Amino acid sequence: MGLPNASEDLSSEMEVDAFRRLFPLRYFERHLAESIRPDARPLSRARDTTISMGAVASADGSALAKIGSTTMLAAIKMEVMTPSLESPDEGCVSIDFHMPPICSPLVRPGRPAEAAPVVAKQLSDTISRHELSLVGGKAAWMVYLDIYCLDADGALFDAALLSAVAAFSNLQIPTVSLDDGKIVMLPEEQKEENSEKEPVNKEKRKLTLGGIPFSLTCILHKNYILADPTSEEESIMETLVTVVLDSSNQLVSLYKPGGAVLAYTSAVQDCIALTRQRVKELHQILEEAISGMEID
Amino acid sequence: MAAKPSTTTTAKATYSPIDPTRKTRPPIFSGSDVDWLRPDSRGFHQCRPAFFRTGAVNSASGSAYAEFGNTKVIVSVFGPRESKKAMMYSNIGRLNCNVSHTTFATPIRGQGSDHKDFSSMLHKALEGAIILETFPKTTVDVFALVLESGGSIRFLVKQVDELDTLWFAVGDLPVVISCASVALADAGIMMYDLVASVSVSCLGKNLLIDPVLEEESYQDGSLMIACMPSRYEVTQLTVTGEWSTPHFNEAMQLCLDASAKLGKIMRSCLKEAASDEQE
Repeated sequence: MGLPNASEDLSSEMEVDAFRRLFPLRYFERHLAESIRPDARPLSRARDTTISMGAVASADGSALAKIGSTTMLAAIKMEVMTPSLESPDEGCVSIDFHMPPICSPLVRPGRPAEAAPVVAKQLSDTISRHELSLVGGKAAWMVYLDIYCLDADGALFDAALLSAVAAFSNLQIPTVSLDDGKIVMLPEEQKEENSEKEPVNKEKRKLTLGGIPFSLTCILHKNYILADPTSEEESIMETLVTVVLDSSNQLVSLYKPGGAVLAYTSAVQDCIALTRQRVKELHQILEEAISGMEID
Repeated sequence: MAAKPSTTTTAKATYSPIDPTRKTRPPIFSGSDVDWLRPDSRGFHQCRPAFFRTGAVNSASGSAYAEFGNTKVIVSVFGPRESKKAMMYSNIGRLNCNVSHTTFATPIRGQGSDHKDFSSMLHKALEGAIILETFPKTTVDVFALVLESGGSIRFLVKQVDELDTLWFAVGDLPVVISCASVALADAGIMMYDLVASVSVSCLGKNLLIDPVLEEESYQDGSLMIACMPSRYEVTQLTVTGEWSTPHFNEAMQLCLDASAKLGKIMRSCLKEAASDEQE
């Protein structure tokens, strides 16, 4: 296996936990040689994923996504803004990704996590602008999407993107009308009656995402490709590749932010193939979460 | 790109669409009007249903999630771990607390984030209960995140603008304190007892236990107790506003009774988690 004999011998004498702490890389490589990972997953298997919709009552749309123990809470609030002169018919999406100190021992209050701006940038590149106009040139929607990482255990971008798209599919845009040049919310009881105030957005109660983006992060290490890494794996083997595909399998984006391992084309293709499988899984999980909401 | 507002407008340039016809509740009920219902139709001396669960955050040494009605809080405990380099030598342990709010915790985006005093209040409420001698030279970090603030949302959208005084209210602090002590127990930090915290609002002649934000906005006085129920010791007592002595005594007794009951709920949550682990 190409491992020095010294550590072989040590490993038979030492307790497993001690070996894991002292020689993390050897520990992982010995697992990888057997095509298995310490948490008993095959190399290409992602962790169990769940989505629950409508987790935040005070938001217009929200979702909680869990990949393994990585947990993301996304909430959308809609506010009204005056569109700019250059684009009078366009609204705006503002995406904030937060890593509060509760999520990981590495984050301290007052010092924002290093990973947070990176994930926020990737998210804003992935989620594009939508038709958000209310009254041409006068009013448009400003969409505030806030994503909170509640538990950081690897593959942060994947979980954040999943919670974001789930929150968008949970979004109920409030019915509003125009009153003295200001947009006001229509009270519940007036919705059915033919009141003097005409709702401005009768039809557009949902945001339609063109193709829903899904992502998978993989670790490249030697010749191995590990899908959906935990934070322990991310800290030991540092070369990450994130592939984003939309629901019709078109490539949205691909990140390989440096790292010690240089990827061959074949490795990148393997990553994309893995992502394609994962998109199918995620799409089904999202559909189930949405249909689960409708039954209630 | 899409993340940044395309105009040069600041955050203030956007506003929430508010229903103008929404009525605000008439201020305080007068005299002996005891039929007044609380916004969540509880009795005056009835707390919100409390729910605790440990192990909410895997990467922390200990953590807990608490849900009291609409109030949802997560607390993570890290450590005991190395103190910051700049800290002086100390032969007892240090406690470091931080409370933050999500931007969607309050009905208007981003308003709940400026509770700077919550962190020090949490610190003072817990300090007396923790046996700091058991982890000399190190720090235990207690971080809380308020996911959602309690209160009747539809009402608050309008009121928050007008009532600056609302933010002097204790709000979610009792929930944060109780949840933090469960998280500390989950992390195996030695304590004399769990800290249970309850607040009471005084509205005219009536005492309302465990008030939601809406009620706090009308209150004449507020009282918050953090105590160790099985030792019958108070770690923190905050009283603000107008109180008469008999009222105060009654409120105090009410709080102590409620925290004894809350303590039982917290204990049973920890016991449940421990028995699950054994199986």
